[in-house]
Amino acid sequence: MEPSRAVLFAVVFLPFLSAATVPLVYRVLGERTAYYAAGVAAVCLALLGSQFGTEGAVSIAWIPALDVSLRLYVDGLSLLIGLLASGIGVLILTYSGGYMHGEPGQPKYYAALLAFMGSMLGVAFAADLIALFLFWELTSLSSFVLIGHYQRESASLYAARKSMLITVAGGLFMLVGFLLLHLVSGDVAALDGPTYNLVAMLEHADAMRAALREAGLYVPALALIGIGAAAKSAQVPLHVWLPNAMEAPTPVSAFLHSATMVKAGVYLVGRLRPLLAGEAWFLLFVSLGLLTMTVAALLAVAASDIKELLAYSTASHLGLIIAGFGFTEFAGEKAATIGAETGGFHILNHALFKAALFLVAGIIAHEAGTRAIDELGGLRRDLPITAGIAGIAALGMAGVPPFNGFYSKEFLFEAAYYAGEHLGGIGWLIPAVAVLGSVFTFLYSIRFLMLFFGDRPDALGHVHRPPVAMLAPPVLLAVLALAVGLGGVTGTLGVHLVPVESFLTRVFESAAVGGGGGHEFSYKFPTTAKPPVLMSAATIALGAVSYPAYGRIRDGIRRVLALDPLRANWYYDGAVEGLTGASARIGPRVQTGLLRTYAFWALGTLSALTLGAYLAAGVELSVPESFTATLPIALVLAVAVGSALAVARAPSHVAGVLTLSILGFMVAIFYILASAPDLALTQLVVETLLLVIFLLVLDRLPAFYGEAASARSFRDGLLAIAVGATVTVTVLLTTSATPERGIASYFLERAPANYGRPGFITDLGGGYNVVNVILVDFRAFDTLGEISVVGMAALSILTLIGMRGRGEVRDGAEPSEEGKP
Amino acid sequence: MTTVIARTVTRLVVPIILVTAVALLLQGHNLPGGGFIAGVLATTAFVLVYVIQGLEYLRTVLGIDPDSPFEHAPVAAYQAILAAGLLIAFGSGLVPMLYGTAFLTQGYTILHGVPIYGELEVASALAFDLGVFFTVVGGLLSIVAVVGTE
Repeated sequence: MEPSRAVLFAVVFLPFLSAATVPLVYRVLGERTAYYAAGVAAVCLALLGSQFGTEGAVSIAWIPALDVSLRLYVDGLSLLIGLLASGIGVLILTYSGGYMHGEPGQPKYYAALLAFMGSMLGVAFAADLIALFLFWELTSLSSFVLIGHYQRESASLYAARKSMLITVAGGLFMLVGFLLLHLVSGDVAALDGPTYNLVAMLEHADAMRAALREAGLYVPALALIGIGAAAKSAQVPLHVWLPNAMEAPTPVSAFLHSATMVKAGVYLVGRLRPLLAGEAWFLLFVSLGLLTMTVAALLAVAASDIKELLAYSTASHLGLIIAGFGFTEFAGEKAATIGAETGGFHILNHALFKAALFLVAGIIAHEAGTRAIDELGGLRRDLPITAGIAGIAALGMAGVPPFNGFYSKEFLFEAAYYAGEHLGGIGWLIPAVAVLGSVFTFLYSIRFLMLFFGDRPDALGHVHRPPVAMLAPPVLLAVLALAVGLGGVTGTLGVHLVPVESFLTRVFESAAVGGGGGHEFSYKFPTTAKPPVLMSAATIALGAVSYPAYGRIRDGIRRVLALDPLRANWYYDGAVEGLTGASARIGPRVQTGLLRTYAFWALGTLSALTLGAYLAAGVELSVPESFTATLPIALVLAVAVGSALAVARAPSHVAGVLTLSILGFMVAIFYILASAPDLALTQLVVETLLLVIFLLVLDRLPAFYGEAASARSFRDGLLAIAVGATVTVTVLLTTSATPERGIASYFLERAPANYGRPGFITDLGGGYNVVNVILVDFRAFDTLGEISVVGMAALSILTLIGMRGRGEVRDGAEPSEEGKP
Repeated sequence: MTTVIARTVTRLVVPIILVTAVALLLQGHNLPGGGFIAGVLATTAFVLVYVIQGLEYLRTVLGIDPDSPFEHAPVAAYQAILAAGLLIAFGSGLVPMLYGTAFLTQGYTILHGVPIYGELEVASALAFDLGVFFTVVGGLLSIVAVVGTE
C-alpha cells in the first residue's frame, strides 16, 4: 500500500511549525508548554501509526532546476526510526514538564527539542540525498542548541562546540560521498541520468555498485559516508563528543542517546547497506563496530559519573549495531542475514532500555542532588519504583536473559560465530572480541544497577520521590522493554510476539541486500546449547567472576587513560588549542587598528590570490592589437592620468581629495563619451557624495601629511603597482572573451516596450533604458541581493559604532563630542 | 561652512535636487536614471542640508526618538526608511507569485487616452525601483549620520 503524501509531510513539518509557535504558546501556558509539545509529538506518532503497513515514496518538487525534490520514503527501517523518534519524543517532553520545573530558557528548550525531533523524522524519511543531508545537519544544529542549553556554563559551551565541530565536519564528508553517488548514478543506464533519488538507487543497487566499482569510487564513497555515520554515531575515535554532550539537561541526553542524533548514523548505515554492501563494507564496519563496542565499554567502566557511564555505553551499543549491519555476504550468507537482523533489533532494544536508564539517571540527579557514582548507593529504599525500572533496563543492557538486550546480543554472537566459521583463521577474532566487549558491558551495567543496592552512603542527604510526570515515562519504557524480553520466552512456548516480529521483518527487509528473500524475523529464548548460547553464558560468567574486582579494573583503565596519546580527547583539544593559538597570534599582526594595515593586508591578499590564480590556471593575456581613441576621449583620459599623478604629490588632505575627485569626474565623462549615460550618472552622484563625506571626515584629521619614511613609501608603491596590475590583467582577461553575439543583443531585443500589444505583458521588459530594465527586471534578483547588502552594511556600521559608544561610556570616558559641524 | 551664502544657496538648491531625483526615479525605465541613481542623489541633498544647516535643523524636521543610542542623529527615521525600502522591493517580488509567475517577474501595460500624455506605460518595475530608492536613501543616510556624529 502506498503511504499518504499529506500525512507524511505533516509528520515531518508539524514539529518545525510547532517549534515556531512555542514562544507564543509559552506566554499563555507557561511551564505547561511541555504538554503542548508532548501533544505535538503524540500527533506525529499517531499520524505515523496510521501509515503502519504502507511502503513507498511520495515527493514534491523542491528545486526542479537541480533535480532536487523533497522525497519521503516509508519502509520498515524508516518507520522504526520515525516511531522511536516521535514515541520517545512524547515521553521525553512529558518528562521535561517535571524535570525542567523552574529552569531558565524554557521556550528555547522546547522549540529546539521539537525541531530536533522534526529533523530526526526528516532524516528517517528523506529519500533524496540533498534533503537527507539537510535534515542530517539540522539534527546537528538543533542538538548544538540543546547541548549548550546552559549558556553561562563553560563546560556546556565546550560540549556544544565539540559536538557541532565533529558532527558537522562528519556531515561534510558524507556530503562529498553523496555527491560521488550522484556522479556515478549517471553511468547507470536504468537510472536515466544523474539523480539524487535514493529510492531509485536502492532499486538498482547492483547496477549502482557495479558502476561505483568501475569508476573506482566504491571505496572512496564508502569511506566518506562511513566517516559521516561514524561521527554522528560516536564511533571510535570520533566518540569524544558524546560524553561531553551529557552537559545537556537529562531529558535531552535521553532523547539524543536513544532515539535521535546518534541513531541517525546507524540508520544511514542500515539504509545504505543494500546499496554498498561488499568486502570493504564488512571490513570497515565490523572492525569499527567491534572496536567501538570494546573501547567504549572500557571507558564506561572507568567513568565516575552516572551520565558519563551511560554516554560511553551508548557509544558501545552503537558499535554493536554498526557491527551487526557490517556483516555481509563476504562473511557468509548466514552471518549477513543475522547481521541485518541484529542491527534492526538492537536499534529497538537499545532505544527502550537506554531512554529508560537516562530518565532514571535524571531522577537520581534531580532527587539525590549528585551524579557521582561513588557518592550513590542503596537507593532502592528511597526510590523503589525507579529501582524496578533500573533493574529491567540495566539487565537488558547487560544482556542477561530473559531481558530484551539479551536477544539482540545473542543475534550478534550468532552472526559473529558464523562469520568466524566462514572466514576461519583470523576470522575467529570476531566472536572473541564480541565476547570481550560484552564482558565489560555486563560489568558497567551491573555497576549502574548497584546504585540501588548495597549500603547507603552517610553523606547522601534526603532523597525526594520524583513527580508523576517524571516517573510515568520510564515506567512505560521499562514495561515495553520487559514485554519484548518476555516475548522471547513465550516464543519458545510457541506464542510469538507477532506485531514486533512482523515489524522487525520489514526492518530487516530494508537493510538486507536484495530485499531479504522472504526470510521472516523471529526470536525466542534458546533451549539448546548452541555456540552463541555458550558465548552468552561465558560473557555472564566472566562478568560475574570479575565484578568483585571492579574497582581494580576501573583503576587500571584510568591509569592507562592517564597516558595522553591514548586519549582521543588529547588530539581534539590539542588541535583546537593549536588553531585558537595560531589565530590569536596572527590577529594582532593583521589587525593593528590602523587603517593602513587593514588596507595593506586586504588589498595585498586580493592581488596575490587573483594573480596567483591566473598563474595557476595558465591563462593567456591577449592584448588588443589596435586601439583607437577619439580626440575627446584621449583628452579626458590624459586629464585623468594627470590628476592621478597629482594625487600622489598632493601636499594636504584637502588637495588630495579634490584632485582625486577630478579623476572620478573624468571617468564619468569618459562614460558619457562611450555612450553609457546611466553609468556616468551613477559615477557622478557617487563621486559627489564621496567628496562631501571625505570633506566631513577631513575636518578631524591633521591638515597636512607628515614626512613618510622612505621604506614605507616604497612598500605602499609596490602594493599600488600590484593592485593596478591585478585590475589591468583582470580587465584584459574578462573583455577578451566577449563572444561575437553576446547577451547584449538578447537584452536589446527584449527590453523595449511593445506599444502595439494590448493587455499586461510580462515577457518583455517594457523600457528603452536597457540598463535599468536589466536591473529591475531581467536580473532583479541580483539587485534585490545588492540592496540587501546596502542594508546590511548600514546596519553593521550602526552596530559597530553603537557598541563602541557603549564601551567608552563603561570605561568612564564620555563619548567624543568633537567634530560636530 | 555655514556662511549666509551657503545657507541661502542650499535652501534653493535642495528642492531642485530632490525633484531631479524623483524625476530620475520615474523616467528611469526609458531614459537614463533609476532607483539607485535617484537614491544617491536624494542622499546628497540631505547630506548638503546636514553639512550646511547642522543637525538641529534635521532633528526638528524629521523628529527623532530620544531613546536612540545615537541621540544626535535622526538614525531611527533612516532605519525605518531602509526597512520600508527592503520591504517594498521584496513585497513587489511576491505579488507576481500570487498570479502564478516566478518571484520578481515584472510586467507592464499601456494605457491609452490619458490626458496630457496620450499613451502612458505603467510598469510594475517601478515598485521595485521605489524599493531600491528607499533602501539606498535609508542605508546611506544612516551611515553618513552615524559617521558624521563621530
